[in-house]
Amino acid sequence: MRKSYLCLVLILVIGIAAFIIPLFPQSPLNSFINWGLTATALVILAIIAFFFEFEAAAISSKEIALVAMLGTISAVSRIPFAVIPNMQPCTYLIICSGYVFGPVAGFMVGAVTALVSNFFLGQGPWTPYQMFAWGLVGVSAAYTRRFKPDRIWLIIFGAIWGYLYGWIMNTWFWVSFIYPLTLRTFIVYQLNSIWFDTFHAIGNAIFLGLFGMKTIAILERFRKRFSWGIHDRADLPFNLTN
Amino acid sequence: MISFRYKEKGTAIHKLNPFCKLVWVFSIFVLALIFNNPLYLLLLFLSTLPVIIAARVWREWASLMKFALYLCLVIIIINALVSYHGSSVLWQAPCSVPLMGTPVITLEAIFFGVGMSLRLLTIISAFAILTFTIHPDDIMLAMLKMKLPYKSVLVTSLSTRFIPTLIDDVERISDVQRSRGLELDRGKLMQRIKSRMAIIVPLLSNSLDRTVQVAEAMESRAFGSGEKRTFYKEVKLSKLDVPALIFGFLPLALGTFMRWWGQGDYRYYPALEKISLDGFECSMLALLLFLLCMMVSLAFLKKRIELD
Repeated sequence: MRKSYLCLVLILVIGIAAFIIPLFPQSPLNSFINWGLTATALVILAIIAFFFEFEAAAISSKEIALVAMLGTISAVSRIPFAVIPNMQPCTYLIICSGYVFGPVAGFMVGAVTALVSNFFLGQGPWTPYQMFAWGLVGVSAAYTRRFKPDRIWLIIFGAIWGYLYGWIMNTWFWVSFIYPLTLRTFIVYQLNSIWFDTFHAIGNAIFLGLFGMKTIAILERFRKRFSWGIHDRADLPFNLTN
Repeated sequence: MISFRYKEKGTAIHKLNPFCKLVWVFSIFVLALIFNNPLYLLLLFLSTLPVIIAARVWREWASLMKFALYLCLVIIIINALVSYHGSSVLWQAPCSVPLMGTPVITLEAIFFGVGMSLRLLTIISAFAILTFTIHPDDIMLAMLKMKLPYKSVLVTSLSTRFIPTLIDDVERISDVQRSRGLELDRGKLMQRIKSRMAIIVPLLSNSLDRTVQVAEAMESRAFGSGEKRTFYKEVKLSKLDVPALIFGFLPLALGTFMRWWGQGDYRYYPALEKISLDGFECSMLALLLFLLCMMVSLAFLKKRIELD
Protein backbone atom coordinates (compact mmCIF):
# COMPACT_ATOMS: atom_id res chain seq x y z
CA MET A 1 0.00 0.00 0.00
CA ARG A 2 1.24 3.45 -0.77
CA LYS A 3 2.15 5.42 2.29
CA SER A 4 0.33 8.50 1.06
CA TYR A 5 -2.95 6.59 1.35
CA LEU A 6 -2.24 6.16 5.04
CA CYS A 7 -2.24 9.95 5.38
CA LEU A 8 -5.51 10.16 3.48
CA VAL A 9 -7.09 7.60 5.81
CA LEU A 10 -5.87 9.61 8.82
CA ILE A 11 -7.33 12.80 7.31
CA LEU A 12 -10.66 11.04 6.91
CA VAL A 13 -10.59 9.69 10.47
CA ILE A 14 -9.80 13.09 11.98
CA GLY A 15 -12.40 14.78 9.80
CA ILE A 16 -15.15 12.33 10.74
CA ALA A 17 -14.16 12.41 14.42
CA ALA A 18 -14.39 16.21 14.40
CA PHE A 19 -18.00 15.91 13.28
CA ILE A 20 -19.03 13.01 15.53
CA ILE A 21 -17.51 14.07 18.87
CA PRO A 22 -19.65 17.21 19.30
CA LEU A 23 -22.71 14.94 19.12
CA PHE A 24 -21.74 13.62 22.57
CA PRO A 25 -21.58 16.76 24.72
CA GLN A 26 -20.64 14.83 27.87
CA SER A 27 -17.37 13.48 26.48
CA PRO A 28 -14.19 15.20 27.72
CA LEU A 29 -12.86 14.86 24.15
CA ASN A 30 -15.01 17.88 23.35
CA SER A 31 -12.45 20.21 24.85
CA PHE A 32 -10.00 19.06 22.18
CA ILE A 33 -12.28 19.85 19.26
CA ASN A 34 -10.44 22.99 18.45
CA TRP A 35 -10.80 23.93 14.82
CA GLY A 36 -7.46 25.69 14.65
CA LEU A 37 -5.70 22.54 15.82
CA THR A 38 -7.78 20.23 13.64
CA ALA A 39 -7.25 22.32 10.51
CA THR A 40 -3.48 22.46 11.10
CA ALA A 41 -3.33 18.69 11.59
CA LEU A 42 -5.28 18.09 8.36
CA VAL A 43 -3.09 20.45 6.33
CA ILE A 44 0.13 18.91 7.68
CA LEU A 45 -1.13 15.41 6.87
CA ALA A 46 -1.97 16.51 3.33
CA ILE A 47 1.54 17.92 2.90
CA ILE A 48 3.09 14.68 4.18
CA ALA A 49 0.95 12.71 1.73
CA PHE A 50 2.44 14.72 -1.12
CA PHE A 51 5.92 14.18 0.33
CA PHE A 52 5.37 10.44 0.11
CA GLU A 53 4.24 10.82 -3.50
CA PHE A 54 7.45 12.72 -4.24
CA GLU A 55 9.42 9.92 -2.56
CA ALA A 56 8.04 7.55 -5.17
CA ALA A 57 8.26 9.97 -8.13
CA ALA A 58 11.83 11.20 -7.64
CA ILE A 59 13.88 8.29 -8.90
CA SER A 60 17.29 9.93 -9.20
CA SER A 61 19.31 12.83 -7.92
CA LYS A 62 18.21 14.83 -10.98
CA GLU A 63 14.67 15.36 -9.78
CA ILE A 64 15.82 16.22 -6.28
CA ALA A 65 18.30 18.81 -7.49
CA LEU A 66 15.77 20.25 -9.93
CA VAL A 67 12.99 20.70 -7.40
CA ALA A 68 15.39 22.12 -4.82
CA MET A 69 16.73 24.65 -7.31
CA LEU A 70 13.31 25.74 -8.58
CA GLY A 71 12.14 26.17 -4.99
CA THR A 72 15.20 28.25 -4.18
CA ILE A 73 14.76 30.45 -7.25
CA SER A 74 11.18 31.22 -6.37
CA ALA A 75 12.08 31.86 -2.71
CA VAL A 76 14.96 34.17 -3.68
CA SER A 77 12.92 35.98 -6.32
CA ARG A 78 11.06 37.61 -3.46
CA ILE A 79 14.12 39.76 -2.68
CA PRO A 80 14.27 42.17 -5.65
CA PHE A 81 10.51 42.65 -5.32
CA ALA A 82 10.47 43.21 -1.58
CA VAL A 83 9.98 46.96 -2.13
CA ILE A 84 6.77 46.47 -4.10
CA PRO A 85 4.16 45.31 -1.56
CA ASN A 86 2.44 42.00 -2.27
CA MET A 87 3.76 41.86 -5.85
CA GLN A 88 5.92 38.82 -5.65
CA PRO A 89 6.84 36.48 -8.46
CA CYS A 90 6.65 33.29 -6.33
CA THR A 91 3.21 32.26 -7.46
CA TYR A 92 4.03 32.84 -11.10
CA LEU A 93 7.25 30.84 -10.88
CA ILE A 94 5.43 28.00 -9.13
CA ILE A 95 2.74 28.02 -11.81
CA CYS A 96 5.38 27.78 -14.54
CA SER A 97 7.26 24.98 -12.75
CA GLY A 98 4.10 22.99 -12.14
CA TYR A 99 3.03 23.52 -15.73
CA VAL A 100 6.29 22.20 -17.14
CA PHE A 101 7.35 19.53 -14.66
CA GLY A 102 4.06 18.03 -13.51
CA PRO A 103 1.88 17.97 -10.39
CA VAL A 104 4.25 16.31 -7.92
CA ALA A 105 7.14 18.59 -8.82
CA GLY A 106 4.76 21.55 -8.76
CA PHE A 107 3.60 20.76 -5.26
CA MET A 108 7.14 20.27 -4.02
CA VAL A 109 8.36 23.55 -5.54
CA GLY A 110 5.49 25.39 -3.85
CA ALA A 111 6.01 23.72 -0.50
CA VAL A 112 9.78 24.26 -0.55
CA THR A 113 9.33 27.91 -1.50
CA ALA A 114 7.17 28.54 1.56
CA LEU A 115 9.23 26.52 4.03
CA VAL A 116 12.61 27.84 2.93
CA SER A 117 11.71 31.50 2.52
CA ASN A 118 10.20 31.39 6.00
CA PHE A 119 13.56 30.43 7.45
CA PHE A 120 14.47 33.97 6.47
CA LEU A 121 11.14 35.72 6.96
CA GLY A 122 10.10 34.01 10.17
CA GLN A 123 8.47 30.65 10.73
CA GLY A 124 5.04 30.58 12.23
CA PRO A 125 1.78 28.69 12.38
CA TRP A 126 1.15 30.03 8.87
CA THR A 127 4.02 28.00 7.36
CA PRO A 128 2.02 24.76 6.75
CA TYR A 129 -0.78 26.77 5.17
CA GLN A 130 1.60 28.59 2.84
CA MET A 131 3.21 25.27 1.91
CA PHE A 132 -0.20 23.80 1.23
CA ALA A 133 -1.56 26.79 -0.71
CA TRP A 134 1.49 27.23 -2.93
CA GLY A 135 1.69 23.46 -3.33
CA LEU A 136 -1.85 23.42 -4.68
CA VAL A 137 -0.93 26.25 -7.04
CA GLY A 138 1.73 23.97 -8.54
CA VAL A 139 -0.55 20.94 -8.71
CA SER A 140 -3.38 22.79 -10.40
CA ALA A 141 -1.00 24.45 -12.86
CA ALA A 142 0.13 21.01 -13.98
CA TYR A 143 -3.43 20.05 -14.88
CA THR A 144 -4.01 23.16 -16.97
CA ARG A 145 -1.47 21.77 -19.45
CA ARG A 146 -4.17 19.48 -20.81
CA PHE A 147 -6.12 22.47 -22.07
CA LYS A 148 -3.07 24.04 -23.74
CA PRO A 149 -3.81 27.46 -22.27
CA ASP A 150 -2.77 30.57 -24.16
CA ARG A 151 -1.60 33.76 -22.56
CA ILE A 152 -5.07 35.03 -21.63
CA TRP A 153 -6.02 31.83 -19.83
CA LEU A 154 -2.74 31.83 -17.94
CA ILE A 155 -3.47 35.38 -16.80
CA ILE A 156 -6.96 34.40 -15.62
CA PHE A 157 -5.56 31.32 -13.90
CA GLY A 158 -2.97 33.40 -12.03
CA ALA A 159 -5.53 35.99 -10.99
CA ILE A 160 -7.86 33.32 -9.61
CA TRP A 161 -5.00 31.86 -7.57
CA GLY A 162 -4.24 35.29 -6.17
CA TYR A 163 -7.60 35.22 -4.44
CA LEU A 164 -7.69 31.49 -3.66
CA TYR A 165 -4.27 31.69 -1.99
CA GLY A 166 -5.52 34.46 0.26
CA TRP A 167 -8.61 32.46 1.15
CA ILE A 168 -6.61 29.41 2.14
CA MET A 169 -4.28 31.56 4.23
CA ASN A 170 -7.18 33.32 5.93
CA THR A 171 -8.91 30.09 6.82
CA TRP A 172 -6.53 29.24 9.63
CA PHE A 173 -6.89 32.66 11.11
CA TRP A 174 -10.63 32.51 10.83
CA VAL A 175 -10.98 29.11 12.52
CA SER A 176 -8.54 29.94 15.31
CA PHE A 177 -9.43 33.47 16.31
CA ILE A 178 -12.95 34.34 15.21
CA TYR A 179 -16.20 33.38 16.89
CA PRO A 180 -18.81 32.28 15.80
CA LEU A 181 -17.71 30.26 12.78
CA THR A 182 -20.49 31.02 10.34
CA LEU A 183 -20.62 31.84 6.66
CA ARG A 184 -21.21 35.48 7.52
CA THR A 185 -18.06 35.85 9.65
CA PHE A 186 -16.13 33.92 7.00
CA ILE A 187 -17.15 36.40 4.32
CA VAL A 188 -16.43 39.40 6.55
CA TYR A 189 -13.00 38.02 7.35
CA GLN A 190 -12.21 37.40 3.68
CA LEU A 191 -13.31 40.94 2.81
CA ASN A 192 -10.76 42.21 5.32
CA SER A 193 -7.89 40.93 3.19
CA ILE A 194 -9.45 41.67 -0.18
CA TRP A 195 -6.97 44.44 -0.98
CA PHE A 196 -3.94 42.28 -0.35
CA ASP A 197 -5.46 39.50 -2.42
CA THR A 198 -6.30 41.88 -5.24
CA PHE A 199 -2.71 43.07 -5.34
CA HIS A 200 -1.53 39.48 -5.36
CA ALA A 201 -3.92 38.65 -8.20
CA ILE A 202 -2.88 41.71 -10.23
CA GLY A 203 0.77 40.83 -9.64
CA ASN A 204 0.26 37.27 -10.86
CA ALA A 205 -1.60 38.50 -13.92
CA ILE A 206 1.17 40.96 -14.80
CA PHE A 207 3.95 38.42 -14.31
CA LEU A 208 2.20 35.70 -16.24
CA GLY A 209 1.09 38.06 -18.98
CA LEU A 210 4.51 39.59 -19.53
CA PHE A 211 6.84 36.70 -18.80
CA GLY A 212 4.75 33.54 -18.45
CA MET A 213 5.27 32.17 -21.95
CA LYS A 214 8.95 33.08 -21.92
CA THR A 215 9.57 31.36 -18.59
CA ILE A 216 7.68 28.28 -19.69
CA ALA A 217 9.81 28.17 -22.83
CA ILE A 218 13.02 28.40 -20.77
CA LEU A 219 11.86 25.61 -18.47
CA GLU A 220 10.64 23.44 -21.38
CA ARG A 221 13.97 23.73 -23.11
CA PHE A 222 15.71 22.83 -19.89
CA ARG A 223 13.44 19.82 -19.38
CA LYS A 224 14.32 18.50 -22.84
CA ARG A 225 18.01 19.07 -22.26
CA PHE A 226 17.92 17.61 -18.78
CA SER A 227 16.02 14.48 -19.68
CA TRP A 228 18.18 13.44 -22.59
CA GLY A 229 19.07 9.77 -22.47
CA ILE A 230 20.24 6.86 -24.58
CA HIS A 231 17.93 4.26 -23.03
CA ASP A 232 14.65 3.55 -24.71
CA ARG A 233 12.97 4.49 -21.43
CA ALA A 234 14.61 7.88 -21.09
CA ASP A 235 14.37 8.79 -17.43
CA LEU A 236 12.38 11.93 -17.92
CA PRO A 237 12.06 13.96 -14.77
CA PHE A 238 8.48 13.45 -13.66
CA ASN A 239 7.32 11.47 -16.64
CA LEU A 240 3.81 12.02 -15.29
CA THR A 241 3.68 15.13 -17.45
CA ASN A 242 3.26 13.53 -20.86
CA MET B 1 13.89 40.19 4.01
CA ILE B 2 16.89 38.88 5.91
CA SER B 3 15.95 40.34 9.26
CA PHE B 4 14.11 37.39 10.82
CA ARG B 5 16.62 34.64 10.49
CA TYR B 6 18.79 32.47 12.67
CA LYS B 7 21.97 34.10 13.96
CA GLU B 8 24.58 32.30 15.97
CA LYS B 9 24.79 33.97 19.36
CA GLY B 10 26.25 31.19 21.45
CA THR B 11 23.90 31.64 24.39
CA ALA B 12 22.78 28.76 26.57
CA ILE B 13 19.53 28.56 24.61
CA HIS B 14 21.32 28.42 21.26
CA LYS B 15 23.49 25.59 22.52
CA LEU B 16 20.59 23.54 23.80
CA ASN B 17 19.73 20.47 21.79
CA PRO B 18 17.40 21.41 18.87
CA PHE B 19 14.99 18.57 19.64
CA CYS B 20 14.30 20.00 23.09
CA LYS B 21 13.50 23.42 21.66
CA LEU B 22 11.30 21.98 18.93
CA VAL B 23 9.33 19.91 21.43
CA TRP B 24 8.99 22.90 23.73
CA VAL B 25 7.70 25.16 20.94
CA PHE B 26 5.28 22.47 19.83
CA SER B 27 4.00 22.12 23.42
CA ILE B 28 3.36 25.85 23.71
CA PHE B 29 1.62 25.88 20.31
CA VAL B 30 -0.78 23.06 21.24
CA LEU B 31 -1.38 24.38 24.76
CA ALA B 32 -2.17 27.87 23.44
CA LEU B 33 -4.75 26.37 21.11
CA ILE B 34 -6.47 24.05 23.60
CA PHE B 35 -6.74 26.52 26.49
CA ASN B 36 -9.41 29.21 26.26
CA ASN B 37 -8.93 30.92 29.58
CA PRO B 38 -7.24 34.31 29.09
CA LEU B 39 -5.36 33.93 32.39
CA TYR B 40 -3.79 30.67 31.17
CA LEU B 41 -2.94 32.23 27.81
CA LEU B 42 -1.34 35.22 29.50
CA LEU B 43 0.78 32.95 31.69
CA LEU B 44 1.79 30.86 28.66
CA PHE B 45 2.83 34.05 26.90
CA LEU B 46 4.85 35.19 29.91
CA SER B 47 6.58 31.81 30.08
CA THR B 48 8.09 32.37 26.62
CA LEU B 49 9.72 35.63 27.73
CA PRO B 50 12.54 34.15 29.87
CA VAL B 51 13.65 32.08 26.87
CA ILE B 52 13.64 35.15 24.61
CA ILE B 53 15.69 37.11 27.12
CA ALA B 54 18.10 34.25 27.79
CA ALA B 55 18.65 33.80 24.06
CA ARG B 56 19.26 37.58 23.64
CA VAL B 57 16.92 37.86 20.68
CA TRP B 58 14.52 40.35 22.20
CA ARG B 59 15.23 42.99 19.57
CA GLU B 60 14.22 40.73 16.69
CA TRP B 61 11.37 39.48 18.84
CA ALA B 62 10.10 43.02 19.36
CA SER B 63 10.01 43.77 15.65
CA LEU B 64 8.09 40.54 15.10
CA MET B 65 5.69 41.53 17.87
CA LYS B 66 4.96 44.83 16.11
CA PHE B 67 3.68 42.84 13.17
CA ALA B 68 1.75 40.58 15.54
CA LEU B 69 0.09 43.56 17.23
CA TYR B 70 -1.28 44.65 13.88
CA LEU B 71 -2.84 41.20 13.47
CA CYS B 72 -4.23 41.47 17.02
CA LEU B 73 -5.92 44.72 16.09
CA VAL B 74 -7.55 42.99 13.12
CA ILE B 75 -8.72 40.14 15.36
CA ILE B 76 -10.24 42.51 17.93
CA ILE B 77 -12.00 44.68 15.35
CA ILE B 78 -13.42 41.79 13.36
CA ASN B 79 -14.60 39.94 16.44
CA ALA B 80 -16.24 43.09 17.77
CA LEU B 81 -18.01 43.62 14.46
CA VAL B 82 -19.23 40.12 13.69
CA SER B 83 -20.18 38.67 17.05
CA TYR B 84 -23.64 39.47 18.43
CA HIS B 85 -23.68 36.90 21.20
CA GLY B 86 -22.64 39.17 24.04
CA SER B 87 -25.18 40.57 26.51
CA SER B 88 -23.64 43.91 27.52
CA VAL B 89 -24.14 46.17 24.52
CA LEU B 90 -21.73 49.08 24.24
CA TRP B 91 -22.89 50.53 20.95
CA GLN B 92 -25.62 49.82 18.46
CA ALA B 93 -25.61 50.95 14.87
CA PRO B 94 -28.50 53.26 13.92
CA CYS B 95 -29.24 51.39 10.71
CA SER B 96 -28.78 47.91 9.34
CA VAL B 97 -25.96 47.05 6.96
CA PRO B 98 -26.28 44.42 4.21
CA LEU B 99 -24.65 41.08 5.10
CA MET B 100 -24.12 42.17 8.72
CA GLY B 101 -27.63 42.90 9.98
CA THR B 102 -27.64 45.65 12.60
CA PRO B 103 -24.09 45.85 13.93
CA VAL B 104 -23.85 45.67 17.71
CA ILE B 105 -20.60 46.01 19.60
CA THR B 106 -20.59 44.15 22.88
CA LEU B 107 -18.12 44.08 25.73
CA GLU B 108 -17.89 40.29 25.49
CA ALA B 109 -16.89 40.40 21.83
CA ILE B 110 -14.08 42.84 22.59
CA PHE B 111 -12.85 40.68 25.44
CA PHE B 112 -13.01 37.64 23.19
CA GLY B 113 -10.84 39.50 20.71
CA VAL B 114 -8.37 40.35 23.46
CA GLY B 115 -8.26 36.72 24.60
CA MET B 116 -7.64 35.53 21.06
CA SER B 117 -4.92 38.18 20.63
CA LEU B 118 -3.18 36.71 23.67
CA ARG B 119 -3.38 33.31 21.99
CA LEU B 120 -1.85 34.72 18.80
CA LEU B 121 0.92 36.53 20.66
CA THR B 122 1.78 33.34 22.56
CA ILE B 123 2.00 31.31 19.37
CA ILE B 124 4.07 33.91 17.49
CA SER B 125 6.38 34.35 20.45
CA ALA B 126 6.94 30.60 20.66
CA PHE B 127 7.66 30.39 16.94
CA ALA B 128 10.07 33.29 17.26
CA ILE B 129 12.15 31.04 19.51
CA LEU B 130 12.11 28.41 16.77
CA THR B 131 13.15 30.87 14.05
CA PHE B 132 15.82 32.70 15.99
CA THR B 133 17.50 29.98 18.02
CA ILE B 134 17.41 26.80 15.90
CA HIS B 135 19.64 26.46 12.86
CA PRO B 136 17.67 25.43 9.73
CA ASP B 137 19.94 22.40 9.25
CA ASP B 138 19.11 21.21 12.74
CA ILE B 139 15.41 21.47 11.96
CA MET B 140 15.99 19.36 8.85
CA LEU B 141 17.85 16.79 10.92
CA ALA B 142 15.04 16.68 13.43
CA MET B 143 12.57 16.18 10.58
CA LEU B 144 14.65 13.25 9.36
CA LYS B 145 14.72 11.72 12.81
CA MET B 146 10.92 12.01 12.90
CA LYS B 147 10.92 9.66 9.89
CA LEU B 148 9.54 12.21 7.46
CA PRO B 149 10.11 11.21 3.82
CA TYR B 150 13.83 11.48 3.23
CA LYS B 151 13.93 12.95 -0.26
CA SER B 152 11.59 15.81 0.62
CA VAL B 153 13.71 16.76 3.59
CA LEU B 154 16.80 16.58 1.39
CA VAL B 155 15.16 18.92 -1.14
CA THR B 156 14.42 21.41 1.61
CA SER B 157 17.89 21.31 3.07
CA LEU B 158 19.53 21.60 -0.37
CA SER B 159 17.34 24.58 -1.01
CA THR B 160 18.23 26.26 2.29
CA ARG B 161 21.84 25.78 1.43
CA PHE B 162 21.43 27.40 -1.99
CA ILE B 163 19.65 30.50 -0.75
CA PRO B 164 22.88 32.42 0.09
CA THR B 165 24.44 31.41 -3.24
CA LEU B 166 21.46 32.60 -5.21
CA ILE B 167 21.28 35.83 -3.19
CA ASP B 168 24.87 36.47 -4.27
CA ASP B 169 23.78 35.72 -7.84
CA VAL B 170 20.93 38.20 -7.59
CA GLU B 171 23.31 40.89 -6.40
CA ARG B 172 25.81 40.14 -9.12
CA ILE B 173 23.18 40.11 -11.85
CA SER B 174 21.67 43.38 -10.67
CA ASP B 175 25.13 44.98 -10.62
CA VAL B 176 25.71 43.80 -14.17
CA GLN B 177 22.32 45.02 -15.34
CA ARG B 178 22.82 48.35 -13.61
CA SER B 179 26.18 48.83 -15.27
CA ARG B 180 24.41 48.22 -18.57
CA GLY B 181 22.11 51.13 -17.78
CA LEU B 182 19.11 49.41 -16.21
CA GLU B 183 17.33 51.68 -13.75
CA LEU B 184 15.61 49.63 -11.08
CA ASP B 185 13.78 52.35 -9.19
CA ARG B 186 12.62 54.54 -12.03
CA GLY B 187 9.26 54.79 -13.70
CA LYS B 188 5.82 53.44 -13.03
CA LEU B 189 4.89 50.15 -11.46
CA MET B 190 4.88 48.29 -14.79
CA GLN B 191 8.29 49.69 -15.65
CA ARG B 192 9.68 48.67 -12.28
CA ILE B 193 8.37 45.15 -12.59
CA LYS B 194 9.79 44.88 -16.11
CA SER B 195 13.21 46.07 -15.01
CA ARG B 196 13.23 43.65 -12.09
CA MET B 197 12.40 40.77 -14.38
CA ALA B 198 15.69 41.54 -16.11
CA ILE B 199 17.17 40.09 -12.93
CA ILE B 200 14.87 37.09 -12.56
CA VAL B 201 15.19 35.68 -16.08
CA PRO B 202 19.03 35.46 -16.09
CA LEU B 203 18.82 34.08 -12.56
CA LEU B 204 16.51 31.37 -13.81
CA SER B 205 18.67 30.17 -16.67
CA ASN B 206 21.83 30.59 -14.61
CA SER B 207 20.65 28.45 -11.73
CA LEU B 208 19.09 25.79 -13.93
CA ASP B 209 22.58 25.10 -15.19
CA ARG B 210 23.64 24.74 -11.62
CA THR B 211 21.02 22.04 -11.17
CA VAL B 212 22.97 19.80 -13.53
CA GLN B 213 26.10 20.33 -11.48
CA VAL B 214 24.30 19.51 -8.26
CA ALA B 215 22.85 16.34 -9.73
CA GLU B 216 26.30 15.33 -11.00
CA ALA B 217 27.86 16.03 -7.62
CA MET B 218 25.23 13.89 -5.93
CA GLU B 219 25.72 11.05 -8.40
CA SER B 220 29.47 11.16 -7.97
CA ARG B 221 29.00 10.75 -4.23
CA ALA B 222 26.86 7.68 -4.93
CA PHE B 223 23.61 9.20 -3.86
CA GLY B 224 20.88 6.63 -3.50
CA SER B 225 23.20 3.67 -3.79
CA GLY B 226 22.64 2.36 -0.30
CA GLU B 227 19.58 1.84 1.81
CA LYS B 228 20.78 3.99 4.67
CA ARG B 229 22.73 7.19 4.40
CA THR B 230 25.47 8.28 6.73
CA PHE B 231 25.67 11.66 8.42
CA TYR B 232 28.54 14.08 8.55
CA LYS B 233 27.13 15.79 11.63
CA GLU B 234 25.39 13.76 14.27
CA VAL B 235 23.11 15.33 16.84
CA LYS B 236 23.62 13.28 19.93
CA LEU B 237 21.57 13.47 23.08
CA SER B 238 23.83 14.19 26.00
CA LYS B 239 23.01 13.21 29.55
CA LEU B 240 21.37 16.56 30.23
CA ASP B 241 19.42 16.61 26.98
CA VAL B 242 17.27 13.70 28.01
CA PRO B 243 15.79 15.53 31.02
CA ALA B 244 15.43 18.63 28.85
CA LEU B 245 13.52 16.60 26.28
CA ILE B 246 11.32 15.18 29.02
CA PHE B 247 10.71 18.66 30.38
CA GLY B 248 9.67 19.68 26.88
CA PHE B 249 7.05 16.93 26.74
CA LEU B 250 5.84 17.11 30.35
CA PRO B 251 4.00 20.46 30.00
CA LEU B 252 2.17 19.10 26.96
CA ALA B 253 1.16 15.95 28.83
CA LEU B 254 0.15 17.88 31.94
CA GLY B 255 -1.77 20.48 29.92
CA THR B 256 -3.65 17.79 27.99
CA PHE B 257 -4.48 16.11 31.29
CA MET B 258 -5.72 19.39 32.80
CA ARG B 259 -7.83 20.10 29.75
CA TRP B 260 -9.26 16.57 29.93
CA TRP B 261 -10.54 17.41 33.41
CA GLY B 262 -12.17 20.55 32.11
CA GLN B 263 -9.59 23.00 33.41
CA GLY B 264 -8.60 26.10 31.47
CA ASP B 265 -11.96 26.50 29.79
CA TYR B 266 -13.63 29.87 29.70
CA ARG B 267 -16.92 31.14 28.32
CA TYR B 268 -16.98 34.63 26.88
CA TYR B 269 -20.61 34.46 25.74
CA PRO B 270 -23.32 35.33 26.64
CA ALA B 271 -21.72 37.09 29.61
CA LEU B 272 -18.11 37.11 30.76
CA GLU B 273 -17.37 34.40 33.30
CA LYS B 274 -15.54 35.21 36.47
CA ILE B 275 -12.10 33.62 36.55
CA SER B 276 -11.98 31.60 39.73
CA LEU B 277 -9.42 28.93 40.47
CA ASP B 278 -9.66 26.54 43.41
CA GLY B 279 -6.57 25.32 45.22
CA PHE B 280 -6.12 22.22 43.08
CA GLU B 281 -6.36 24.16 39.83
CA CYS B 282 -3.94 26.77 41.13
CA SER B 283 -1.35 24.19 42.04
CA MET B 284 -1.73 22.44 38.68
CA LEU B 285 -1.26 25.72 36.87
CA ALA B 286 1.80 26.55 38.97
CA LEU B 287 3.23 23.12 38.19
CA LEU B 288 2.64 23.70 34.46
CA LEU B 289 4.45 27.04 34.58
CA PHE B 290 7.27 25.55 36.59
CA LEU B 291 7.73 22.82 33.98
CA LEU B 292 7.69 25.36 31.14
CA CYS B 293 10.33 27.50 32.83
CA MET B 294 12.55 24.51 33.57
CA MET B 295 13.90 24.63 30.03
CA VAL B 296 15.78 27.88 30.60
CA SER B 297 17.29 26.72 33.85
CA LEU B 298 18.27 23.39 32.30
CA ALA B 299 19.93 25.25 29.43
CA PHE B 300 21.96 27.29 31.90
CA LEU B 301 22.78 24.22 33.94
CA LYS B 302 24.01 22.48 30.81
CA LYS B 303 26.20 25.42 29.85
CA ARG B 304 27.54 25.59 33.41
CA ILE B 305 28.46 21.91 33.40
CA GLU B 306 30.10 22.19 29.99
CA LEU B 307 32.19 25.11 31.24
CA ASP B 308 33.49 23.16 34.22
